Amino acid sequence: MTLRFRYILEGVSHAVVPLGGRWVRPRPVIGVTVVGPSNSRLRMALLDTGGDDTLFPESLAPLLGIDLTSAPSGTGKGVGLGPVPLRYAQVGLRITDGKEYREWTGWVGFTPAPLRYPILGFAGCLQFFTATFHGDREEVELAVNRLYAGT
Amino acid sequence: MNENGKPPPPPDIGRFHENWIAFPREERLKYAGKFVAWSPDGLSIVVSGDSEQEVEEKLVAMGIHPSQVVGENIPPPDEALFL
Repeated sequence: MTLRFRYILEGVSHAVVPLGGRWVRPRPVIGVTVVGPSNSRLRMALLDTGGDDTLFPESLAPLLGIDLTSAPSGTGKGVGLGPVPLRYAQVGLRITDGKEYREWTGWVGFTPAPLRYPILGFAGCLQFFTATFHGDREEVELAVNRLYAGT
Repeated sequence: MNENGKPPPPPDIGRFHENWIAFPREERLKYAGKFVAWSPDGLSIVVSGDSEQEVEEKLVAMGIHPSQVVGENIPPPDEALFL
């Protein structure tokens, strides 16, 4: 019923003061399969409850067979970034923790803005899940909610 | 591509996450700032490059369809993420 993902402990080259001097940054990054009209790609993406949209780099769209020429558009803004253009398309998304799989269709944004990680934000992803972030266990649990219409 | 001209279906990544988070940290740090392609089992990095496009081209040259690997832009080690 619930997918569980342990955080990756990203190594750093100096002690992280706000984490009590640890030498790692725990991050909820998971693998996601993105399925377009003619192709698919697998990408590591950050679960981000602060993200309004699910976002991927614009360069991914043609690899999936998505033409963004007349796609619905919008604007986004991240920390330290000016307004960036977003263009939206529907894709198939699939995640697994090795025990269970979830697959659904969602609207995602594509942006030319530099992204360290694609973002699994509210629209297109977290709207379909009850997400529990266990800070102590450094693990996230995802359980589908009543809006989830996937498999 | 398959014989019918269609791309292969996405690989099973059921074992990926547990292996990916256990990948040696020191080894992973060598790829900081790079775009890498992971094997579907998360045990190894197949190829790396400075960009997604470069990695895609290397994979094709190796005869590997880019849909059969897991792409990750490994962040630099001293960068707190604000997206």
